[in-house]
Amino acid sequence: MKKYIALLLIFSSCVHDDNFKVPEVIFEKQPKPVNIASITAVKGNLAQVEDGIFTFSDPDIFIEGYVISNDEAGNFFEELVLQDKPTNPTAGIVLQVDVNPLFTKYEFGRKVYIKLEGLTATIVNGTVQLGVRDNGTIAPLQASLIDEYITRSEEVAEIIPLEIEITEFSDDLENLFIQLKNVQFNRKIALGENRKTFASEATDAFDGERLLESCNSRGRTIVSTSTYSNFRAMLLPQGSGSVQGVLSRDFYDEFFVVNINSPADIDFSNEQRCDTERLTCGLATTAGDTILFQDDFEDQKKNKPVSGNGWTNFIESGSSEWEAYTAESANASQGISAKIDSYSSDDTNSIAWLITPPIQLDTLSKATLHFETSNSFADSSDLEVLFSTDWDGNPETITTATWGIVSSAYITQDDDYFGDWFGSGLVDLSCETGEIYIAFKYYGNGRDANDGTYELDNVKITGQ
Amino acid sequence: MKKFSTVYILLAFSLYCHSQNYTVSGNIVDAITFKPIPEVEVTINSGNYNTYSTADGSFKFETDLKSGPYTLIIQKEGYLTQRLPILLEQKENLYFQTIPLEIDVTNQQMEIGLITLSDDQLNGDDDQADYNISGLLTATKDAFLNAAAYDFSATFFRPRGLDSEDGKILINNIEMNKLYSGRPQWANWGGLNDAQRNRVFTRGISASESTFGDLAGSTNIIMRASQYRKGGRVSYASSNRTYTGRFMASYNTGLDKNGWAFSTLISRRSGNEGYIDGTLYDANSVFISAEKKINEAHSLNLTTFYSANRRGRSTALTDEVYDLKGRKYNPNWGYLNGELRNSRIREIKEPVIMLNHYWSLIDNTTLNTSIAYQFGTTANTRIESGGTRLITTDEQESYVGGARNPAPNYYQNLPSYFLRDVNPTAVDYQNAYLAEEEFRENGQLNWNAMYAANTLATQQGGNSIYALQADVTHDKKFTFNSVFRSKMTENIVLNAGFNYLNLNNENYARLEDLLGGNNFLDIDSFAEDNYLTEGNLAQSDLQNRNRLVQEGDKYKYHYKIKAEDVNAFGQAQFKYSKIDFYVAAKIGYRFYQRTGLYENGYYPGNRSFGKSEPKKIGTFGLKTGATYKISGRQLVDINIANFTKAPGIRNTFSNSRQNNDLASGLSPERTYAIDASYIYRSPFAKLRLTGYYINKQDGNDLSFLYTQSAQGVDDGYAFVQEVVGDIDQINRGLELGGEMQILPTFKLKTAIALGEKFYNNNPQIYYTSDDIDGQLTFGNGKTNLKNYHVAGGPEQAYQIGFEYRDPDYWWVGATFNAFAKAYVDVSNLRRSDAFLLDSDGLPLNQYDDDTAKSLLQQEKLDSYNLINIVGGKSWRIGDYFVGFFATINNVLNTVYKTGGFEDSRISDYRGLLEEKERDTPLFGNRYFMGYGTTYYLNAYVRF
Repeated sequence: MKKYIALLLIFSSCVHDDNFKVPEVIFEKQPKPVNIASITAVKGNLAQVEDGIFTFSDPDIFIEGYVISNDEAGNFFEELVLQDKPTNPTAGIVLQVDVNPLFTKYEFGRKVYIKLEGLTATIVNGTVQLGVRDNGTIAPLQASLIDEYITRSEEVAEIIPLEIEITEFSDDLENLFIQLKNVQFNRKIALGENRKTFASEATDAFDGERLLESCNSRGRTIVSTSTYSNFRAMLLPQGSGSVQGVLSRDFYDEFFVVNINSPADIDFSNEQRCDTERLTCGLATTAGDTILFQDDFEDQKKNKPVSGNGWTNFIESGSSEWEAYTAESANASQGISAKIDSYSSDDTNSIAWLITPPIQLDTLSKATLHFETSNSFADSSDLEVLFSTDWDGNPETITTATWGIVSSAYITQDDDYFGDWFGSGLVDLSCETGEIYIAFKYYGNGRDANDGTYELDNVKITGQ
Repeated sequence: MKKFSTVYILLAFSLYCHSQNYTVSGNIVDAITFKPIPEVEVTINSGNYNTYSTADGSFKFETDLKSGPYTLIIQKEGYLTQRLPILLEQKENLYFQTIPLEIDVTNQQMEIGLITLSDDQLNGDDDQADYNISGLLTATKDAFLNAAAYDFSATFFRPRGLDSEDGKILINNIEMNKLYSGRPQWANWGGLNDAQRNRVFTRGISASESTFGDLAGSTNIIMRASQYRKGGRVSYASSNRTYTGRFMASYNTGLDKNGWAFSTLISRRSGNEGYIDGTLYDANSVFISAEKKINEAHSLNLTTFYSANRRGRSTALTDEVYDLKGRKYNPNWGYLNGELRNSRIREIKEPVIMLNHYWSLIDNTTLNTSIAYQFGTTANTRIESGGTRLITTDEQESYVGGARNPAPNYYQNLPSYFLRDVNPTAVDYQNAYLAEEEFRENGQLNWNAMYAANTLATQQGGNSIYALQADVTHDKKFTFNSVFRSKMTENIVLNAGFNYLNLNNENYARLEDLLGGNNFLDIDSFAEDNYLTEGNLAQSDLQNRNRLVQEGDKYKYHYKIKAEDVNAFGQAQFKYSKIDFYVAAKIGYRFYQRTGLYENGYYPGNRSFGKSEPKKIGTFGLKTGATYKISGRQLVDINIANFTKAPGIRNTFSNSRQNNDLASGLSPERTYAIDASYIYRSPFAKLRLTGYYINKQDGNDLSFLYTQSAQGVDDGYAFVQEVVGDIDQINRGLELGGEMQILPTFKLKTAIALGEKFYNNNPQIYYTSDDIDGQLTFGNGKTNLKNYHVAGGPEQAYQIGFEYRDPDYWWVGATFNAFAKAYVDVSNLRRSDAFLLDSDGLPLNQYDDDTAKSLLQQEKLDSYNLINIVGGKSWRIGDYFVGFFATINNVLNTVYKTGGFEDSRISDYRGLLEEKERDTPLFGNRYFMGYGTTYYLNAYVRF
């Protein structure tokens, strides 16, 4: 018998490789640091230095913050965005960390303490960031240092996004988790054949920047998505609703952007968009015999605002205005043409209208519109062609009148060659009734990315 | 204790008168047990007279030799050969009442040693071990083969540049080589050493009686109950190589009066880690055989054996990693709950059962028929870090999550990564320093971080991000085999064999461990889905979209391969006094068909689901050879062969996990081989000198790799399948083995291998990937391998050594071994035209020929010397033999690389130039490091 027992022992001699249990201590509780500074104070330190870079040397000082970025979907990479409070935050900051992924340890809402000693704050891509000093800028914190520098609290807070309007964006709100309500992606990228993905268009380099507009106010902003994100190839949602995300700046610090953590941050469950009415007559095959209105701008005075011939030239916001101009060589005008830009305008918002005189449609069996456009560095500025049948002709009521989109008219696109002029197509107006006004509405602002130029010529309305 | 002197014989002379002939007769017995020994070969040194002892140990033959002095040679494998001087004169007949034969303990020990050692190496933990051929070799009287088996195999030296797919392993005539790779799965019979000592080894392409054979020869392991010597054996081995302990016990009844014989063995090999850190070993083996001798004509034998084997694996290292962590470093393990856990475990559980029928039809004619069934699984685990969850927004699906490769030696964790830029900044140096410190101090897998991540994800309603995946192969193999042998005349032996094999092979990934999570989303997190593909590309099975799987579930891929093989061979052997020769031929047919059980998202419809096109391959073979006996001491031996071989399953389907595609241009590999030997044998010295030339044509190969130089695809980043065809390679060289018996107790020995193995053409190459449609080729669709060395151990090996056998039953030997000219395996992609292209697929605009040459230079590994010592002693205590056997390998603890390979990650000119300009490359060559000083000690009791 003993023999068998010995044998049994030999055969059961353990090799520990199987049936491992889930380790019990997943979260190691660490002591809360004593000296805690606020994120606002860190930003204050940075604001006081002239060279724009500040290295912390005081020992044992920490900042506390709540993680509001989530790299699970790949739209954040090697950075933690922290804000000071879970609700009504007042200051946010980015910590650059050379670790990927971070969401497996520092999840959304997790309270953390960051040791400041040895870290450096400066402005990177327009926002205040922390990292390790690398000459005049900062580099990410090396992976092996993260446990030394980042202490996890047990607290995982529910982050209540800060509800704001696009028009309220300001530097102080950068790196905060915000929510925009009643917004939608611009119809040119969200609807129709040119519906775009978040960030997988051939023209997207590093980030896909998508125009988001508010239904409440005139605000427009950019939802910026990394071309490395998991959802880059998803099509933009078509409805309207709310977007939440981290308010930040684009790479070149030219404009505000919203970075979402995942597509779930967009709730466009409202299928109703807030697009204005549309002209739906389509294109006509032939023009009418009678010219009801036309202007080739040859009678306008160069470098003066467009005037006369029934035009209403109106600045809704900012200082940019439609004016007549000539140009030679590659980017030539066609004799005298009209143009608008917001270059060097310093405008935070440039909105300008050029409106034709009214055309009475009721007496006509047919009415068509044709015009030509060209652009130069249009970038994210925009030109729209609108119509109204209820405007009374008074400039003061322009913004309260109902303006619909002349959707079949072709307007030059940013990727069109800047030297060429493009015809709008023969736009049929005959399905509308009453008096109609046609407006050319420009959106831009003084920043490099939005200060593009649009040129207009040979506006012609015919009837029969 | 009774002391045996050299030879003592009880001689009794009887005098008979006989007209013309002498009669020589006698009885042969075991020197210790005095039991008769059957089947002992008895010859008179003139060579023409020989016979075998019968079951009662007696022998008798008549001669018509002239009077004079002769030597009677009495020999049997496992016994010391007896040489009796006899004098034939005056018509006296000779009768030896008792001739005692002593067991050749030394040889037996060496044999044990060999089998044990090769077992040790064959079950090594890296892929190189699979190629090792030493398991094919057996203790022979050939000095070269002994050197190759004992001392050269540790460094993966391959005799004639051949690996285990060039040899055949048979057990009771059943071929054990796998159809998947053509290689034997050594682990299937690991730990059965004591039951595998009866072997019939055929060297090279010479004639075997059980199979047509192959270039490297064949070994038929006889595991028949009646063939084991009656008795038992218990042994324990201790080592620091792969396992740390091995216990083995066996008992054989021998054939009893009723014609029954039984044989059994159990063994256990275990260890928490071997020489390489974290390489656990856990293997239990059992063998049972029963044989019934029904009558003189029929015997029926049942043999079954099962070696269940679990191994922790290691991996090849770059110089950078070796410099920081040493040669024992293994990144695959980490501590979990204070215990060592290896993430890459190989588990092999494939029992074999066979029934053998031995039939003596008429005199000198036998028909041995066997059926065998092997079934079971092979599973390899690894960590999967691409766990995601599904988000549906606006009716569109996206998958978020996934993490980076958690391997501690991932290139982005190493110092070189931080110094990758041309002019590193102060912070880069600081980060490199921090990375180095971290890697030195920790540098192992962080299980806790993975569990923590999964727990966090699960708390938030997500799925596991990390999981342990097993790649499982499940085989059911049926074999029928029949071998016919007939000794037509004294001079002619005919052999014929027929073999039918049917394999049902099933492959899938199995979720092994969710590492603290509850679910895993079965999608491909690397899929490049967009709104047109609607998340379909990511699906492993379109018929079960976005499936959540749990532990034990199959996922990722699931397919079956049906394979059939039919082959037959015939052979005639002629033996005459001056010349022996043989001719043999074979013919074969192979069939493969894949059946996809998952409809892969990248390959919808019957591209992946259902049956593939069948692949049918016909093969043939011819060989012949002759041995010319210049004199009793000098022989010349020549063999010539020309045959084709069907490709393994592995190389037949270009991407079998995902689709039904067959590798295109696949044809059987064609081999031309010739070898010629001069053999000298005398009681004082033995020598063999062989020259060989082998040309293999139409070879094929398949590999999987991730590269950033798939120029023209996605900026070059792609996971690709590399299909190489039309490979033409040449192996040529010389082998020399010699022994000198300086004293009866002291032997000097030497072995030399001078070989070359190189590509003889520029093979065809193409790539497939789920990122591209169809085949991707670069330039002329070839890889410029011509004249590059084919990697695989040193091409040159030298040995000089001695053996001392003390009459007092102890022995010791030592060898000095030198190795040179081992080359790393070259990247095929680097030698294709992808090297010359920019990432957009257009030719590079700056290019320097000399630089290119230096970038593509094949690395020759440093040469090195190893000293090995071996020794043992045995005692007889009553009816028990007690003994031990020990070896110390690499006595001087030499650091050396046994092999290596280039990483195809960066394969283009510009990328390689950047790599060369770095102090430490990001993707340097990876090497298999040789073991330092190791020991092996085996003690046994035999009764």
